[in-house]
Amino acid sequence: MIIGLEHYLVLGAILFCIGFFIALSKKNAVGVLIGVELMLNAVNLTLVAFSRFSTTEIALSTQVFVVFIIAVAAAEVAVGLALALVVYRNRQTISVDRTTLLKG
Amino acid sequence: MSEFGFHLAFWSLAAMTIGGASMIMVSRNLIHAVVWLVLSMLGVAGLYLTLSADFIAVVQVLIYVGAISVLMLFAIMLTPRAERDNSSSLKTAGPAGVVVIMVMIATFWVAIDTDWGSVREAALTDQARLIGESLIKHYILPFEIGAVLLTAALVGAIALAREDDEDAAVHAASLQAELDGREFDPVDVVDPPLPAVLTAELPAEPESEART
Repeated sequence: MIIGLEHYLVLGAILFCIGFFIALSKKNAVGVLIGVELMLNAVNLTLVAFSRFSTTEIALSTQVFVVFIIAVAAAEVAVGLALALVVYRNRQTISVDRTTLLKG
Repeated sequence: MSEFGFHLAFWSLAAMTIGGASMIMVSRNLIHAVVWLVLSMLGVAGLYLTLSADFIAVVQVLIYVGAISVLMLFAIMLTPRAERDNSSSLKTAGPAGVVVIMVMIATFWVAIDTDWGSVREAALTDQARLIGESLIKHYILPFEIGAVLLTAALVGAIALAREDDEDAAVHAASLQAELDGREFDPVDVVDPPLPAVLTAELPAEPESEART
């Protein structure tokens, strides 16, 4: 059996689903961020797989896109962790279950 | 790469990635979860190498494994021990599981059932140069916007996370009081009692005119 595009796509789908489940179910805000990072990684893996197995022009622009996703993910993590710190300082917890100030 | 070596690399890296991700789900300690995340991301970097995307693999190791995980560890260490619990919330785990299984079925179906067209045999060579050239030719505007975004995010993160001067002074004074074994009252720091020199009676005005 030759390892082709489908293998990588299924792998990316599994990774995305694990990250999605972590982001939805974890109580800790940093845990939720970890889940989001896994989802971004899964999408990057899918894009790189497409870049390997498609035409040359698509290959290049997909890889540039992956570079942009990584840059935006880094910015997102920096701001997200700073927010977690601020929430902890003000409310002494970063559990997303107990941060219910906006709950109606 | 020989066919057997490629298979070995793909399956072991896939196991490493999925295994690390699953351990994040299971582990109760947040620090362990971040270490498992590092393993998973190293696996993804290896998978990039099996896809001949060498530049992206190096960037992945540098940014995800090097920077983002360390940033997460710092954020965890700055919140006390009670916040290192990584357990799942029982209330949301059930509905989340249902949604995730539906997403999984849909993505699997799309990935396997779709005809993705012709497959290119050879990988792109000289990728770092090609990516760099297209970044400053075709994608110059997104590149500049990305630079502005990163600057704004860093300034924003610092502005959010830094303590006020007053908070920092209170924190330092409480630590000092603990070292000295004194009672600590934060009001003393915010509105300190005047030093003895100032509250004492002022001496009489010196006779300046006589000297001149």
